[in-house]
Amino acid sequence: MKLTHTICPSCSVGCGINLITQKQEAVGTYPYKRYPINEGKSCKKGRECYGMITEEKRLLNPHIKKTSLVGSNWDESLNLAVSKIKSYEPEEIGIIGSGNCTNEECEILKKFATSLGAENIGYPAGNFPNFDFETGNLNDVENSQFILITGNVLKEYPLIGRKIILAKENGAEIITIDYPQKTTTGMISDQYIQTESIRQFLDDEAEKIQTKLNESSLILVSKLDNKEELEEFHQMAAKSNSKIIPIMKECNSRGAMNILPPLSEDELKTMINGMNLLYIVGDDLASQLGETLKKVDFLITQSTTLNQTALLSDVVFPSACWVEKTGSFTNITGNTQKVQQILPPPGEAMDDATIIMKIAEKMEIDL
Amino acid sequence: MDSNYLLARAKDEDLLKKGECGGAVSSIFQYLLDSNLVDGVLNLSHGEDIYDGVPTLIEDSKDLVQTCGSLHCAPTMFGDLIRKYLQDMNLAVAVKPCDAMAIKELEKRHQIDSDKIYKVGLNCGGTVLPITALKMIELFYEVDPDDVVKEEIDKGKFIIELADGSHKSIEIDELEEKGYGRRVNCQRCELMIPRNADIACGNWGAEPGWTFIEIVTEKGREIVENAHKNGYLEVKTPPEKLVNIREKIEGVMIKMARKFQNKYLEEEYPSLENWDEYWNRCIECYACRDVCPLCYCRECDLEREYYSDSGETAPDPLTFQGVRLSHMSFSCVNCGQCEDVCPMEIPVARIYHRMQKKYREQTGFIAGMSEELPPLFSPEKE
Repeated sequence: MKLTHTICPSCSVGCGINLITQKQEAVGTYPYKRYPINEGKSCKKGRECYGMITEEKRLLNPHIKKTSLVGSNWDESLNLAVSKIKSYEPEEIGIIGSGNCTNEECEILKKFATSLGAENIGYPAGNFPNFDFETGNLNDVENSQFILITGNVLKEYPLIGRKIILAKENGAEIITIDYPQKTTTGMISDQYIQTESIRQFLDDEAEKIQTKLNESSLILVSKLDNKEELEEFHQMAAKSNSKIIPIMKECNSRGAMNILPPLSEDELKTMINGMNLLYIVGDDLASQLGETLKKVDFLITQSTTLNQTALLSDVVFPSACWVEKTGSFTNITGNTQKVQQILPPPGEAMDDATIIMKIAEKMEIDL
Repeated sequence: MDSNYLLARAKDEDLLKKGECGGAVSSIFQYLLDSNLVDGVLNLSHGEDIYDGVPTLIEDSKDLVQTCGSLHCAPTMFGDLIRKYLQDMNLAVAVKPCDAMAIKELEKRHQIDSDKIYKVGLNCGGTVLPITALKMIELFYEVDPDDVVKEEIDKGKFIIELADGSHKSIEIDELEEKGYGRRVNCQRCELMIPRNADIACGNWGAEPGWTFIEIVTEKGREIVENAHKNGYLEVKTPPEKLVNIREKIEGVMIKMARKFQNKYLEEEYPSLENWDEYWNRCIECYACRDVCPLCYCRECDLEREYYSDSGETAPDPLTFQGVRLSHMSFSCVNCGQCEDVCPMEIPVARIYHRMQKKYREQTGFIAGMSEELPPLFSPEKE
């Protein structure tokens, strides 16, 4: 039995956890109380994140589609992928990364796309746009006198939720905006603005709230209906010298954003519809865009598990989990944290960067 | 070795130098590993610094030196680690009183095999949460926590040692009045000398460079005697005066703990309105259940369909906390892990400790100490 520090890959907060391994297998997690972000506290997803490693559907070797998806080897699958990539024009090729990829993987994927001349590249970012304004840090949450929240932060990002609770215990006023159903965050707030849409709040009530904002306030944006709304919240913060933290979903959403273009669901759909070959690294896109993906001629996927996207693919490369590789994640407050390899990837799986390089090598692209 | 009390120190030079109080505990582990009486030793080692205690399994006595020295900023729990991962092993484990209490309850419930485990107890005056320690050292000691090479709790003070050998100390009372210092569970804990382990070791009543050992069980006597006979341990009998000093320290600490119990469980106990507010924050993440060393049913009642809620709002306290409380409160050993890991800062352990105290008053059952199972224990677990 061995305990090793790592960063939780479950969301964008970047909590520390201890991974318990036994005979080179992940068996559990243990509180990491020395870690400043979460002080040993983790949510359920965090405590159970080792399940990603031991998941039954882990891919152990490459697969290719014959009549159905069948096991293959690296040579055959790489040759097939490469010959297909070569057979399309760069304009017909779409490349999609993920907020779960490390910064280093995003970089190398971007390089690959550039070398290939493929301009259709991005990663699924939900309703969050790219932004470069300065964000607050987690201590700012705790020390704020007034916090404006969109979404159910307590439930979805509990370790930021904790900072909201600490602020509340220090006397901060909390206002939450969310859709009409009750949420834990709404219930602990001093005021719960239940709205049909974020737009409706911005149009009808933002002005009133603006008067409450000052330099000891903070805006936490975890829910948006579309990209443009973030800038409006940013303007609210800028006008009042408040701090702001947009809360994106994945463990490296903020890092990926600096390297790859963030794409909303609609943008993804539009992009994919124009493509004949799609190369997806690390994202289970089919879970939200299954029908759109079916229209693509040829689909190449890098995935840790046999998920819906893998099942739709023509070539699937088995990839490594976060503790099976080395790299870094940038959390919501812009803090870049290293992750070290603790375990070897299972079977013939390899880390995403290595797979990208293998493809590049076969294509005689120098990365 | 007729007495139950003795002073001991390592024969091994490295352990003598690097171990706490002459390295007697490390030497006993060395003896147990070398003579193949155990396959492994579970102890703490330094992770990135002195505030980072990492549970570490040592299987070769040469590696014991990693675990030398005491850490007061490591509120860890070993009970569930042993139950989940080390059951098959003959094991020696360094236990704080709360670890020993959890292990004892698990032994009674047949979750840990008492024949396979040596419990080397460490006296404990309480632990400090690592991040609290960092903040406290910056704020009150005005020292960069990275410059601290060692910390110690002695004579009511939290003492830090800097690289240049200088010391700074502040009364724990003063720190705790300001919300720092030891965890509140530790403040309330009245078991400082783990007489529920095989031996209890510490520096109270010890001469400098020696460990004071109290032998509790026959098994404990055997390992100390044999470690001595086989040349691992140097021992001598402590003078009466030292035994009395130790007893006096313990008495003072217990008195203090009772004062804190009164403060946290009676005088400043949260009102019903406060509890409503606390339960309203609950995100039903099960952290309290999962970390509880004594909560191990494979099928948990809390996850039964008829108790389940929508998930978007806090669960009904009656069917969530209420059910857990009715299952676990009488067994609570006040280790405080539930409170440590609660992301919503709910002071969970207060209600459990309070209930166990009431239960104790009514039934005489003391969780972690009594030999029998609690009177309301249902064996239909799993």
